[in-house]
Amino acid sequence: MKHIANTRFGTVEYHPDKVIFFVDGLIGFEDLHEFIVLPQKKEGPLFWLQSIENPEIAFVLTNPADFFPDYRIAPDKNDRIKLHLSETDGYLLLSVVTVRPDRSITLNLAAPVLMNPDKRFALQAVLEKGGFSTKTPLPQTVAANG
Amino acid sequence: MLVLTRKKDEGIIIGDSISITIVDIKNGQVRVGIDAPADTRIFRRELYEQIKQENLAALAWKPEDLETLATTLSSSGTTR
Repeated sequence: MKHIANTRFGTVEYHPDKVIFFVDGLIGFEDLHEFIVLPQKKEGPLFWLQSIENPEIAFVLTNPADFFPDYRIAPDKNDRIKLHLSETDGYLLLSVVTVRPDRSITLNLAAPVLMNPDKRFALQAVLEKGGFSTKTPLPQTVAANG
Repeated sequence: MLVLTRKKDEGIIIGDSISITIVDIKNGQVRVGIDAPADTRIFRRELYEQIKQENLAALAWKPEDLETLATTLSSSGTTR
């Protein structure tokens, strides 16, 4: 059975089986746990992650590996427990996208989203080490081609 | 805010499961040891605030951004 969620952009239908549970919420949004991924009109590398609990809250996510092939972040032991991931289970690594007022794009590589795609648990990890920026511009080649 | 004065090797207990120890004090810096359950999230506050601000900034997108960006990015990102 379909459910209806309100969003900043109108109402959307979703299937309750598709709800993703953010164990700790996202940083600054710890009270929001349930999100849905909404389909795009065009094929592409961006996902729209909509809070079910607060219509105003919607993030854009992308796969950072498309732009930063060397950026490999794995869930640590505690992350795996929270995500209900076994040692061998696969996971998704995603980045929160910011569209800046000048319409340039940055990725938050300092706080990636880790997701268990099968059981639909997710969390936003905070990388203390590695020197990653919360405002990482897309690589020059990408920007130039675009 | 509760303010407590502690010396080196002294500590503070918070609730049933969090214990904080002052490990060292020198050159205007304090080293703090924290014992807490594994699922307790612990952050340096400035990093937490930075990520929170970035998450807030990330909410400002418009639906038309998605379409434009999808076109731009899919034509230029490397494929795996």
